[in-house]
Amino acid sequence: MTPEARAWLQTTTGIVLVLLLVQFLTGVLLAFYYVPSVDHAYTTVSYIEKVVSSGSWIRSLHHYGSQWLTVFAFLHVIQLFLFQTYAYARVHWIAAVLLLGLIMAAGGTGYSLPWDARAFFSTRVAEGLMSGLPFVGRNSRFWLLGGSNISTLTLSRFFALHVLLIPACIVAVVVWRFSGFRAYWSNMWRHAIAGGLVFVALAVWSLKNPAPLGPAVAEMTAEYLPRPGLQFLWLYQTLKYIPGGLGSLAGLVLPGVVLLVLLLLPWLKRQRMFGTAVLGAIVVWVGFMTSAAYLSDRRHEQTWRQLSRQAAQEELLRREPFKPTAIRLAAAPVAGQDVGEPPVMYTKFCVNCHGQRGEGAQQGPLRFPPLLDVSAKPRRTVDDIVGLLKDPAAYGLEPPMRSFSDKLTEPQMREIGEWIVKLKK
Amino acid sequence: MTNNSPMNKSRRSFLQILPLGVLAGVFASIGGAAFRFLRPRIGVASDRWLDVASLTELTGPHPVSRKIVAEHIAGWAVTTEEHSVFVLPAKNNQVLSAVCPHEGCEVAWEQNANRFSCPCHESYFAADGARISGPAARGLDAMPARVQDGKLQVQYVSKESA
Repeated sequence: MTPEARAWLQTTTGIVLVLLLVQFLTGVLLAFYYVPSVDHAYTTVSYIEKVVSSGSWIRSLHHYGSQWLTVFAFLHVIQLFLFQTYAYARVHWIAAVLLLGLIMAAGGTGYSLPWDARAFFSTRVAEGLMSGLPFVGRNSRFWLLGGSNISTLTLSRFFALHVLLIPACIVAVVVWRFSGFRAYWSNMWRHAIAGGLVFVALAVWSLKNPAPLGPAVAEMTAEYLPRPGLQFLWLYQTLKYIPGGLGSLAGLVLPGVVLLVLLLLPWLKRQRMFGTAVLGAIVVWVGFMTSAAYLSDRRHEQTWRQLSRQAAQEELLRREPFKPTAIRLAAAPVAGQDVGEPPVMYTKFCVNCHGQRGEGAQQGPLRFPPLLDVSAKPRRTVDDIVGLLKDPAAYGLEPPMRSFSDKLTEPQMREIGEWIVKLKK
Repeated sequence: MTNNSPMNKSRRSFLQILPLGVLAGVFASIGGAAFRFLRPRIGVASDRWLDVASLTELTGPHPVSRKIVAEHIAGWAVTTEEHSVFVLPAKNNQVLSAVCPHEGCEVAWEQNANRFSCPCHESYFAADGARISGPAARGLDAMPARVQDGKLQVQYVSKESA
């Protein structure tokens, strides 16, 4: 190999750095709008897609950037192996392998965040893989989900891992890799050209191809066929061939062992043979499985039709105008939840402390409780309210709440109670 | 050509600047999009009339506290928020915003002292909303109001657009 060709092959470093920079910049931008909660995640992502200027491009850069980054991080490992870096520059080698693992983890956690149908299934698969782990399966699933089910807590966990923990680890690895690094100006320009070209290609690709956003989880139909991103197609296809409980071995344990072997390569005997075997197997496996995933969808007519339908549906969703979410920060009932006028006796005796519509009131230093949603509390049925109006102390209430036995008849109390239990926030 | 020829020198310095140029290109293209991406959208001020109270409730010499519920469009959310207002039956049902013109806390009516007081920085206002003392530069703001079908209505105007 000519020194010139060698120098160009080494530019995977520059490409990975440029793509990492793109991920960090676009990720920070997306965080300005994204909300990691199951009731707002999808809305905020579609707001970014449909309303925010350049939002679709920024998200597409982040989405496809993560796939390209995985590919180039892997090519970087292969390049370092071919140049036998593990033998003379251990830090470079270990950093590259760690980066590959971290980038895959970032991609895996990021897939859940838009909380569309695709995200939901990817979370399900992550759950399944975790729970199938030998010995620690139950606990690791529990810890990953933040409880016994996929919930809004799960989304928060994936978000925290994706935007805080994993990026921090990536920065640490990159800093470690380049500490004590003296700029080799002679080759920097090649890194710059390669990185710049890949960036331009990614920018153009993202301009033409918006990142996918499937239907919201709530609107998902039973026929929906989820497909993972490019970098996880091999895993998706592999899981088809592996019987139930062994999925975790193929999906988590095996990749883990492979990464470990690669990490330990500098200390192993017969490194070259080991590395060639492991990397060769990965290339063959990933290449074969990725094409098999594509071909099997293509060949199965019904599947292909459904996938085309989904693509068309996504296109329609993309054109639909954005629907904002309603958030209520007010305690007073709004139109559409009218509970009718308060009973006359309520207006006469209760309004001063509990407000015109049960919203509560402040009198000097005293703050009186609102009655909204009071029926959701224990011991607050209509009968209880009647009893409470007669003898507040029996319900644990303290002055200035007084007994109204001398002011109200029982039917009047009942009328007030029936109106109060209808009050909702 | 020797290594120190001017041609070679300028080639070398160009190659040294190239990485900075590529970095600048990445930052500039994403940065340009970032400016458009982050630029807040200008909200359209709502000109809806909101019910405050029916005229029959508004009597007596003292300010009457009421809540209005206003809708704000904030990006991906439509928020419904409650705002306090004071109606002055003694002053032809003028409606005052409870937002202190100093730093925006909500003032409260003190019946005994016959004044509004701000809980944050001790600004005080007379029963007609005029400034008495404290750091606030002016009295409480009056809101556009009208009477429709026997009901007093106001328009909610946010602080910035006021």
